[in-house]
Amino acid sequence: MVSAHVSMIKIRQLIKMTKPCIGVHRNLACLHRAVGGVRWKSSFRQAPVLTAAPVRALIDEQICIKGSFLPPECPVTVCAQMHSDDGDLWEAFAHYNTNADGTVNLTKDHSVGGSYLGCEPMGLFWGLQPAPGAREGLRLRKKNVETPYVMLLSLLEGHVSPSKRQSTELAAVITERWYMAPGVRRTEIRQDGVVGTLFLPPGPGPFPAMLDLWGMGGGLVEYRSALLASRGYASLSLAYIGHKDLPGSPTRINVGDSYFESAFHLLQAHCQVCADRIGIIGLSFGVYLTLRIATKAVVKPACLICVNGPVGSTVKFSDPDGRTEHFESDQKYWTYNDQGHVSFKDVSLPENLSPESKVKIEHLTCPLMYIVGEDDLSASSMETANLIEETLTAAGKSQLFTCLSYPGAGHLIEPPYTPNSRASLWSVKPQKLFTLWGGHPAPHAAAQEDAWKKILDFMERNLRQ
Amino acid sequence: MDRKQCCVKLSVQPSRGLMDEKFIILVQNVFPGFQLTLHALYKCDDGHSWEAFAHYTASAIGTVNVSEDPSLGGTYSGVEPMGLLWSLRPVPGSKPWLRMRKMNVQTPMVVTISVYPGHQTEGFLDQVSLAGVVVERWYMAPGVRRIPITEAGLTATLFLPPGPGPFPGLLDLWGGGGKLVEYRSALLASHGFASLALDYLTPKVTIETGKMVDNQYFERAYKVLEQHPQILSSRIAMIGLSFGTCITFKMAVYSQVAKLRCIVCISGSHVQPIDGSVEQIMSFFNKNAEKTRFNNENQVIWHDLLLPIPTDPSLKVDVGQLQCPLLLVVGEDDQNWPAHESAMDIKEMMERAGNSHLLTLLSYPNAGHLIEPPFTPFAKASAFRDISSRQMLVALWGGETAAHSRAQEDAWRKTLVFLRANLYAGANTDATSFSNL
Repeated sequence: MVSAHVSMIKIRQLIKMTKPCIGVHRNLACLHRAVGGVRWKSSFRQAPVLTAAPVRALIDEQICIKGSFLPPECPVTVCAQMHSDDGDLWEAFAHYNTNADGTVNLTKDHSVGGSYLGCEPMGLFWGLQPAPGAREGLRLRKKNVETPYVMLLSLLEGHVSPSKRQSTELAAVITERWYMAPGVRRTEIRQDGVVGTLFLPPGPGPFPAMLDLWGMGGGLVEYRSALLASRGYASLSLAYIGHKDLPGSPTRINVGDSYFESAFHLLQAHCQVCADRIGIIGLSFGVYLTLRIATKAVVKPACLICVNGPVGSTVKFSDPDGRTEHFESDQKYWTYNDQGHVSFKDVSLPENLSPESKVKIEHLTCPLMYIVGEDDLSASSMETANLIEETLTAAGKSQLFTCLSYPGAGHLIEPPYTPNSRASLWSVKPQKLFTLWGGHPAPHAAAQEDAWKKILDFMERNLRQ
Repeated sequence: MDRKQCCVKLSVQPSRGLMDEKFIILVQNVFPGFQLTLHALYKCDDGHSWEAFAHYTASAIGTVNVSEDPSLGGTYSGVEPMGLLWSLRPVPGSKPWLRMRKMNVQTPMVVTISVYPGHQTEGFLDQVSLAGVVVERWYMAPGVRRIPITEAGLTATLFLPPGPGPFPGLLDLWGGGGKLVEYRSALLASHGFASLALDYLTPKVTIETGKMVDNQYFERAYKVLEQHPQILSSRIAMIGLSFGTCITFKMAVYSQVAKLRCIVCISGSHVQPIDGSVEQIMSFFNKNAEKTRFNNENQVIWHDLLLPIPTDPSLKVDVGQLQCPLLLVVGEDDQNWPAHESAMDIKEMMERAGNSHLLTLLSYPNAGHLIEPPFTPFAKASAFRDISSRQMLVALWGGETAAHSRAQEDAWRKTLVFLRANLYAGANTDATSFSNL
């Protein structure tokens, strides 16, 4: 410590004598490295600072990350780390070179290496990957939406890989990312046989509303609804398979059309919901349910949003109420890659669907937005989108149809700034089975960001005006 | 369902912010020229409700932006982005003489901001608003750690910024009301300063033994900071308000143990028997108790107790011997302490001694005694329990709402700049480099 201090005084004297002073900081930074990583207790400038604004944000909000008071034109690494609800460690990092004024601004500067390249303000969030040594086949999904993701952002010296832990940490900041805005109310719904969770925006209402449907993974997925409520829409996440409060075996859909109609009526009857301004959003198998509810015409949604899902089901219906058979009973359309990962893509190919199950798209009476990930390995989304477009055009209803198609995006087009899993663990019995979702990191992230904005605009136009 | 109710959009960005962060309130989708009232409602930890409101007229494109458009009346007027917070006042029917102080800093201040039609002045809670959002205001940034300190007989709380550190340290003292007040320390830690909030008038040891603390109590608190592995022992500062400034001046000039890098003295004075203990300083003040005045509303004005500023050097801390930068913050309408008069005397003493380059003076016209972190409700007078007499009185602090609130915002910003310049940059930095604040 003492010797480093003395050397710095000598250097200062030298510098006073020599001009120009431009190379000062660079020389000092090199000296710092030469004296063996002594922590830079600056006698010349303020210690580095890393800021994030806002420091408590919603998941779909951009966070502006800036490093200041750094040596100019020096390599730095920005690193992000967080634990999922299950305790797995996820991390991301990116290599930058600081500007001439000693700053680095992730909204303007380009990453030259790491989890992403180029100018990506939110790259540290969508570029998150399980840390080395993590369990296989992980997918980041928040189970408890009432608590935030707590993310540690740090600024490291040099272009390093953070898991190797060799570098000096210059500055750090902790951010919180929430699915629920302040004042959003979460209510568990177990009424009229309906199993779901209702999220209400703060304020007196009444609010337009959404029914939120997910895929065959089952359970009760709340995070998209929580975010919709944070954006001013009452939202009901609905479970229909694989939930302990639903009747019958968890591997079958034991509810029929009347179940979904009850859920819709439940929303309509709520005193804080505008009964005539309710839409439905569905992903994967949820798309089929969305289209089925809308075309059966028992209830009248105001608009529909469908992400990467089929217009029918491969298994025949066993009773008039639409109760399906065991999803995995008909595996003939499952395909496997070299690693033994399964793709369900062909299950939803229009020609493989059972004709009775196919929804009558021509009966659609409200606007429909269909979102396609062109690298979707789990559903035949492009084929389905084309089929829907043809059917609606033939029925003279093409004005109802909007299609968004994203090259490089996979099946799981979810709210933005969250990482995509190209494949993840699907089941453990009889042995571990991984399923392919598709999607490459950067294009998938861009798709999520763009799609979410367009989804909110679509809802605004159809539910608020 | 009323179509109009569905349409009004109200947003506050950020919806979760620090207490000293500014937000932008935006109303959209109303008719151009529409008259509306923005209303803020806050229910504090004690259960009291506070409200503020302001009248706006929507622009030609049907929006109201509180950061850019003027309020035409209400609890504040003019262009005041944060007016809905600092003009909060107890709702009609509340207990009188309340002062808002958040004692639990681990939970946010939750404020509901709503829009009502027309220019209204009362009865908000009986109506349904057009739209409402909830905003959280936090004293602790994510990752700030709160550590109660009971070692060495202290009653204190340490707030550490997030990260490995090491951090500069701050000793944080409040005034004659006593109690352990944490919010300023929590906020300072959110800005990167390890901060120790110290109760020195009502600590456990005083409650139990009835004896006031001695000078070593403060030196032990200093040592807690000095010896902490995540605090830089060479970069410790002190911040004091009101009675806390007496201790701060004393420690900075006379303490052999404390090596303070800089000090911040708010609404206080250097007038005290030098080298006196807390008890001795208190009795010195009480000796002049007959100089206490009362205004028409029977509110106590303690302003004259230390006046006139003595010429006797044994009754004033010799600020001429100060060797570290001093940020002096005073309100010119302070009715509780002669802060402004003391500041003038301090300036003169330092000029005579030749160390006035260490002094930065912030003097605010129409600001009162309680110059605290910004964007909290202003209290011109409030209930105060005198520590020595144990009487409940109403103390007049002084200040005018808008001017005082602006002074708080300005003083806080400059305090953070002063602390950063002195605690994060080098010791060789010339003090005059930040005197052009």
